[in-house]
Amino acid sequence: MSRVAWVLLAVVVCIGLVAPFGDWERAMTVIPTEAGLGPSPGHPLGTDHLGRDVLARLQLATSAFAGPGLLACAVALVLAVPTAAVSAYRGGVLGSATRFAFTSLAAIPRFVLVLLVLSIYGDSPTTLALAVGASYVPLLGEAVYERIERLRGEEYVLASQAHGLAGGRILWVHLVWFACGRLIGRHLLALFGFYLVLETTLSYIGGFGVQEPHPSWGNMLVFEWGRRSLVDPGLLAPGIALWATLALTDWASESLGEVEHG
Amino acid sequence: MLRTLLGRAVLTVSSLVAAATAVQLLLWAAPGDPIDLLPNGAELRPQLEAEWGLDQPVWMRVVTNLGRAATGELGTSLSYRPGTPVTEVLAQPALNSFALLIASLVLALAWSAGLAAFTRGRRQHTSRLVRTLSVAPVFLLAHLCIHGLNEVTWSLMEAGTIARPAWFALPGEASAMRTALAVVLLAVGSGALADMHREAEQALISIRRSGFVDAARARGEPTFLLVARHLTLPLASLAAARTGFLLGGLVVVEKVLLINGAGAILWQAALLRDVPVALGITLMAATTVCAARLAADALRVGIDPRLRSQA
Repeated sequence: MSRVAWVLLAVVVCIGLVAPFGDWERAMTVIPTEAGLGPSPGHPLGTDHLGRDVLARLQLATSAFAGPGLLACAVALVLAVPTAAVSAYRGGVLGSATRFAFTSLAAIPRFVLVLLVLSIYGDSPTTLALAVGASYVPLLGEAVYERIERLRGEEYVLASQAHGLAGGRILWVHLVWFACGRLIGRHLLALFGFYLVLETTLSYIGGFGVQEPHPSWGNMLVFEWGRRSLVDPGLLAPGIALWATLALTDWASESLGEVEHG
Repeated sequence: MLRTLLGRAVLTVSSLVAAATAVQLLLWAAPGDPIDLLPNGAELRPQLEAEWGLDQPVWMRVVTNLGRAATGELGTSLSYRPGTPVTEVLAQPALNSFALLIASLVLALAWSAGLAAFTRGRRQHTSRLVRTLSVAPVFLLAHLCIHGLNEVTWSLMEAGTIARPAWFALPGEASAMRTALAVVLLAVGSGALADMHREAEQALISIRRSGFVDAARARGEPTFLLVARHLTLPLASLAAARTGFLLGGLVVVEKVLLINGAGAILWQAALLRDVPVALGITLMAATTVCAARLAADALRVGIDPRLRSQA
């Protein structure tokens, strides 16, 4: 189950990364004569009320979250892991100060912080990705800090130190890579899911995020609002795609937890 | 006990001050200043710079603003309701949001504890089902609920089965239906129920495997109250940890379900780039999270004698 989840998630992300380079005429061109069509071989999920192919728009919409979502993960990884790892390993004043900083920043709800950043710095996808990545730093940092602080006194770490292994190797290979790898992976998957939720929510409510005519699973839902029945595949498709991708993220994340706890 | 609580309170207040300082620095690090956002900013610049203290160094501005915030003065709205004090803008909506937050927190805790008691690590399929359903974002669940409810109600109204309900298609009016929907969606959506259920389940399993529960069972005593009492501590910590998450969800449900709350105002303020209002709501949210942490700590210290003896 978890392997299937990883493969499908990788497919979604790859589509999203490749999408900006493709030809998406079917997704973007308004054809009034083909408006509101049901599923057919030419349009497997039908067309929207402007005659654009729903499946093509669904595929193109993955570019709204795949690249920026990965950027957010990279930001959180680069800012949180080295800071937390070094300060937890060294301990002392540095450790206490870092932990205090993480706890203090975690007091600001992530969604609220992201909205504040968007109001100050504008709402480009890059700003959103940086804001989401930075807002996740306290959570990821605290998790890594706790793990390394707990492990730094373990016998295998003390034995490695006694054998003269370099501190950097113990920290980055033994503690961060082997002991925290899966924990970090789980958090990054959760962050990717959070970015997807945030991007689609912003696009759904409007004002921020992806705006028409560019597609996002969020604005696709609201664009057909009231024009179709709830059981119409054209209306349900973006919602199902969103729900399924989040479920895949969750299952993939769960698989990392299962292996970690043996 | 008092000493322990005092220590936690000092730590919490320090965290809040640090968070508020970080937010202030975020604001002052941005290119330009709030006057740039005003339509007639260029004309009023000299006067406003002196009035808002923008001619002072950044550290002085941060300290001044923190002092003002401590006395409840959060400045005036720039564009959401120009000239109105932020505290006046937020007074009633913040109460509405707080009521929603408490209701959804209580509901989520009750459901997660109930589900944990049902599954107890044994019914993997139920846990997976809860997880898969709960992972759906709040806005998607709200969209499906509203759309489905409207379709069913409309078809029943057309068929003459029911008269038009008071809540139907009147977005401007307060509605118990929308409020109830908001509470449920907030308690369930975006993984809230699944995460709380998982943590409550782990806590419950750990307590049921404890020696004191085995001893009570061996004596033939009922263990329900004993387990429930010990479950209070992890549930309190869980509630405190989830407060920030639910506050983020409030912004979405209030906006999608058209509820007059601080979350909906934050969205509007962010759109209009009304930084004082957005900043005020952020500080209020951070204060709520810190207060929840402190309340959870107080409860833990009150219940657990081991924590009292650490002081």
